[in-house]
Amino acid sequence: MANIAAQRIKREFKEVIKSEEVAKCAIKVELLNDSYTELKGEIAGPPDTPYEGGNFVLEIKVPETYPFNPPKVRFITKIWHPNISSVTGAICLDILKDQWAAAMTLRTVLLSLQALLSAAEPDDPQDAVVARQYKENLEMFQLTARHWTNVYAGGPHVNSDCDEKIKRLVDMGIEDHQARAALSSYNWDLERATEQLFS
Amino acid sequence: MADSARFQHLERFCIHYFNDRDCPKGEACNYQHKARFEVEKVRHNISEEFFLGRIRTNQRVCRFFRRGNCIHQENCHYRHDNDNSCRNLPRTNSQNNTNRNSNRSNTSTNMPSTSQTSDVVNKNIINKNQTDIDNKENDELNCPNNEEKKKLQSAEEGEEEEEEEGACASPPLNSINDSWVNAPEFVPKSISQARPRSYAEALSPDNIAEINANRKLCPYVNKDGICRNLTDCTYLHGEMCDMCERLILHPYNEEQRKRHRQECIKQHEKNMELSFAIARSKEKSCGVCFEVIMEKAIGEQRFGILPNCNHCFCLSCIRKWRQARQFENKIIRACPECRVTSDFVCPSMYWVDTKEDKEKLIDDYKTALSRKDCKYFKKGQGKCPFGNKCFYLHAFPDGSKCDVGPPPRQRRHRGVDTDIDVLQQVMLWDFLDERDFPWQSLADDLEDLVSFFYRFG
Repeated sequence: MANIAAQRIKREFKEVIKSEEVAKCAIKVELLNDSYTELKGEIAGPPDTPYEGGNFVLEIKVPETYPFNPPKVRFITKIWHPNISSVTGAICLDILKDQWAAAMTLRTVLLSLQALLSAAEPDDPQDAVVARQYKENLEMFQLTARHWTNVYAGGPHVNSDCDEKIKRLVDMGIEDHQARAALSSYNWDLERATEQLFS
Repeated sequence: MADSARFQHLERFCIHYFNDRDCPKGEACNYQHKARFEVEKVRHNISEEFFLGRIRTNQRVCRFFRRGNCIHQENCHYRHDNDNSCRNLPRTNSQNNTNRNSNRSNTSTNMPSTSQTSDVVNKNIINKNQTDIDNKENDELNCPNNEEKKKLQSAEEGEEEEEEEGACASPPLNSINDSWVNAPEFVPKSISQARPRSYAEALSPDNIAEINANRKLCPYVNKDGICRNLTDCTYLHGEMCDMCERLILHPYNEEQRKRHRQECIKQHEKNMELSFAIARSKEKSCGVCFEVIMEKAIGEQRFGILPNCNHCFCLSCIRKWRQARQFENKIIRACPECRVTSDFVCPSMYWVDTKEDKEKLIDDYKTALSRKDCKYFKKGQGKCPFGNKCFYLHAFPDGSKCDVGPPPRQRRHRGVDTDIDVLQQVMLWDFLDERDFPWQSLADDLEDLVSFFYRFG
């Protein structure tokens, strides 16, 4: 690994540890190996959003050309968000692609992702299904996102109606996450979800 | 001591011979008959002592001598002005002198009646003392007879006063006692041009100042400003400059002193500037590699200054960022921190804070580049795509400069609107750093440029 990248990640680590966001438990970075190429990030769901109370884990891969190229970041925790793939966790965020700047750091990236959670960009979607729901039925989107946060990110809001519907699909032999994804995609319409799953 | 020996040596010459090239005593004179130039030469040697700060005192008139009680007498470092000495002597002394003089003259003329004349003199003194006391009494009583008595007294003293007139401008003591308010003002005797010079003047004549001013400083003074052969060296030695702490100030040449002083101040300002530059650069870290730039490896301790914003990067990082081909031009032309676009990066040894410093830096950079031949123009053999916007020198082998005109534009853009022109320019700038890259790899080339830019010292 290029010396400059490792050196910088080391320095950034110190910066993140000292930062007030860590003190407020808003962001967190952990090392996964000694070569500073793979890291684990964590961000707290921002307040007044469906993600409130959730804790989202991220996979951060630092390229050799860092900081001249952006780190590769994706969500490990499953999340219902127009700019994040509900399947792969891939993130659509300009600064992680063509708008990267060499002065950006892990801290600013994590904070940007946190900001992305509170301000989705449905016109530049990563997940078209989620984006459509966001635009057509915001209430349904918020309900779904809150449910996902509860199930995968440890959010406090339990939705018994959703759980009921998932349970019925699971009883039909469908895997739990598959059932949740199908139901979420069809605005929790059990019939259409079943139809889609068995077609 | 060597010093006092020299003084004595100086005083051994005859002042009459010095002034008139003729001495009344002739061969019988006790003092050496030295020509004027010889004395002045000795004076030069003595002036070496200036550097020890001693002779200067000799220019001033000794105030104890003026009062007539200088205990150093001939050996005093201050000037004993022989010519005007008697007027400075206290009244009582001169009175005695005059009495003695008259006494002597009487003796010479009237040898047989010595006792008689001495009697007369004694009587005179007694009389005068009497009148002095009388006068005082009269003053106190405000006696109307005062005027008459004064006349009487002045008649008595007439002879003495006449004698004194030439030597002393101060009024007689008793008239001071009389009415000191009305005493005539002290007027020094006018100094005539033709007047013979005193010892002190002979040793420090005015014309010597000019000769001295043109004398060269000792060439054997080494780097520390110290002459190894100080005691025997016949050259002039400089005084200590308190700024550079070298013995370099010419003792007589005011112009040289002033010039040296200005140089020292300039040097001092430069040093201050440098230490300020270091102080403000010391803590600065690069926004890309996060390293403190002044603590990087030697050769990488260079700042890359962006003209349009105030973010700090090391030269290698900002150059690398601007060469990142995976992003759009707009992104890499922009500051990695604030995304303000800058057309070029200016290398610098130190961080610049103020707008003025930055402008100066960039001007210097452009000036330096404009002296280097453009690698595209090739002294007229090639064609520079940047036209007259190029920072480098477009000159033919004979040195004549060439205006190649504005950079070529594509015809279809012409006249559409100015935005496209600007875009065109930005596109051209894009090549600049790329073009700088081989230039950067030529370490020597760069080093001499950088050192050219930042010759603080």
